[in-house]
Amino acid sequence: MNDAAENLIHVIDDDTAFRRSLVFLLESVGWQVVPHASAEDFLAACPAEPEAIGCLVLDIRMPTMSGLELQQQLHVRGWNVPIVFVTGHGDVELAVQAMKRGASDFLEKPFKDQLLIDAVANAVRRRSAEREAESRREDARALLERLSPREREVARLVALGLPNKLVARQLDISEKTVHVHRQHVMEKTELGSAAELARLMLKADPNALD
Amino acid sequence: MSFAPTFPFAGRLIRTLAICLTVLTACSNAWSLEASTVRIGVLAYLGDEAAEMEWGPMAAHLRATLPDHTIEILTLDHAGMRELARRGEIDFLITNPGHYVELEAELGASRILTLESGIGPSPAASVGSAVVVRAGRDELRTLADLRGLRVAVVSPEAFGGFQLIWRELHALGLDPRRDFRELRSVGFPMDRVLEAVANGSVDAGFVRACLLESRPEYADRLQVLAPRPDPDLGCAVSSRLYPDWPIATLRHTPPALARAVAVALLSTPETSAAPHWAVPADYQSVHEMFRELQIGPYAYLRAPTLMSLAERYWPALAVLVTMLIAWVLYTVRVEHLVHVRTSELREALAARDAIETRMRANQEQAEHMGRLSVLGELSGTLAHELNQPLAAIGNYAQSLVRRADADRLTEAATREAATEIVQQAERAAGILAGIRTFARKRVGERTPRRPGEVVAETVALFRGMLAQAPEVEVHDRLPPSLAIELDALQIQQVILNLLKNGYDASQDLPPERRRLDVTLHTDDDGVGISVRDHGPGLDPAVGARLFEPFLTTKPDGLGLGLSICKRIAEAHGGRLRATPAADGPGMIFTLILPHHE
Repeated sequence: MNDAAENLIHVIDDDTAFRRSLVFLLESVGWQVVPHASAEDFLAACPAEPEAIGCLVLDIRMPTMSGLELQQQLHVRGWNVPIVFVTGHGDVELAVQAMKRGASDFLEKPFKDQLLIDAVANAVRRRSAEREAESRREDARALLERLSPREREVARLVALGLPNKLVARQLDISEKTVHVHRQHVMEKTELGSAAELARLMLKADPNALD
Repeated sequence: MSFAPTFPFAGRLIRTLAICLTVLTACSNAWSLEASTVRIGVLAYLGDEAAEMEWGPMAAHLRATLPDHTIEILTLDHAGMRELARRGEIDFLITNPGHYVELEAELGASRILTLESGIGPSPAASVGSAVVVRAGRDELRTLADLRGLRVAVVSPEAFGGFQLIWRELHALGLDPRRDFRELRSVGFPMDRVLEAVANGSVDAGFVRACLLESRPEYADRLQVLAPRPDPDLGCAVSSRLYPDWPIATLRHTPPALARAVAVALLSTPETSAAPHWAVPADYQSVHEMFRELQIGPYAYLRAPTLMSLAERYWPALAVLVTMLIAWVLYTVRVEHLVHVRTSELREALAARDAIETRMRANQEQAEHMGRLSVLGELSGTLAHELNQPLAAIGNYAQSLVRRADADRLTEAATREAATEIVQQAERAAGILAGIRTFARKRVGERTPRRPGEVVAETVALFRGMLAQAPEVEVHDRLPPSLAIELDALQIQQVILNLLKNGYDASQDLPPERRRLDVTLHTDDDGVGISVRDHGPGLDPAVGARLFEPFLTTKPDGLGLGLSICKRIAEAHGGRLRATPAADGPGMIFTLILPHHE
């Protein structure tokens, strides 16, 4: 894969032999892998969410900090990195818990290599998609950042489909002023219609029009 | 003895012997007998010399009368005569009436003539005994007065010197052996008896009749007690009179020879110094004496005497018999009880053996179940533990295929994967071997082992079974040479259980408190192996019932672990103890094993 360097796979497992075998397997299909012997080691190596992280392959049971605990930690820190869990136990309860907390996949040892490879590929894909969505959201926000507070108020009401007359009444300003603001909004956001404006605002904030 | 018929006249007999020889030789020619040696045994009651002097003239007379025969005189004592007579080495015997009667009964001696000494009224009444006392003992009037006195005799076996008087005493109801203060045997010559009486060392003495009269030196000092009115004898006598000495044949003596000798003796001339013989006397009176005294041939009659003794001592006898009966009854009872108890015991032993066999089987079964139960409780982690190497092997193998398919398989990668695969296969095999050993059904065997070694093996097994085994710190405070006879697998099972319990008790603890401490130390009772956890400890109510079967505080536990551990400990003569840790929270479980030097 040409984007392997951007999607480093972090493998976290306390069992050295198994960890090494995972590295060997993932490297067979071209991923670049970073092994860690424990959750703590991983956190020490990556204090902040790295840009080039593809996904985590995480053992659920580990002596000190377990896989679920690390997932919890990352959630608190606001990381979005997808996690593929592997476990030696067919522990349904743990699996449900992990998936509820947004795990990307859950594999039971021993597994077919294809399953892991697919799971990692899915996770990385999801990670890429998220990364794209994020960049689009960032763009939208950047456009909306250009508006003054009043222009943003006018833009929200316009995006909701209100005519200028109602906007003026709601904001208790003249219809003419509303018209001027609206023109500025369209110029700054480089958009042509109220519908486009509405899409941009939702992209920047899914709750913007509530 | 009572009789020495010709003793005073021996000298004269020898001198006149030669005169007779010619006459008697002529007479003897009338019998034609085969020439042979004729052996005549004589009782030498006064010694060999006296006997030869006494019987020499008779031998000479016989040689003269029976020239074809060699005449031999053998001087013998009682026993010697009996022995030679039995072996047939004498043809004739001359002895006192008492001895004759005994040999008559014993060996079939048969009298052919009786000596005619001329002392008594007839040969049938010429032998008697006298009891002599000191002159002047007028208080002694009858033989009955001898009771409680000291008496001297030649010998208790003497005929004329004892037995004749004994018969008279017996008739009066006196027993010399019982009723005299002393019965002293002074031996030959008989003069000693006279001397003992004369010097006052005894009160009375028994001698043959006429001895006192022939000893003038004692005549005024001694007198005969209770003399019988028998003027014909010419001597004072205290007993009845008995026949004189006989000459007797034996069974093997040829009748012709007997007749020839008898005729020769009967033909002893009046003038001869040799003793004179008469037709055989009746010895019935001697028989009667023996019968009355129950001696000699009539000794068998003494059995009733034993009965009379028994009568006399009946109280003691009754006690004896009662004790004997009691003893017999007791013995029988004891035998019976022993028999009953033995069979009871045998049954009890058989029952115990059966129970023991069953118990052993049950116990082995229970231990096996216990081990399986421990395995069952550990199976989750065990599966995980086996999964690790299996999954790793799978990953390596699949990676190799994948890389080969993509034509990207390097030799280094192959080598790395193969090495890892081998190592992981070994790891899996090791785990399985430990489980198999532990779970196998087996018969217990004890060998001397160092406790530290067993603990180390167990800790290794424990670590192998658990993916996240806690830290186990072993403190071995035992002397390195100390070994205990134990069943290593059973003890492993106990320690493993204790470790597992400690591990379970530590599940909710922060990692730094999950450590388990195993301490080996010498206890008062032996060797202690303690497992200490830092968990919350035990509810006292649970603690009291800790070692009961089926008590469990775990949702997935069978509750067999500690009860089996307890039994294993007890089977080793030890025990299991649970105590709260003195320093801080946690429990200490201690396996105590006795240690015999």
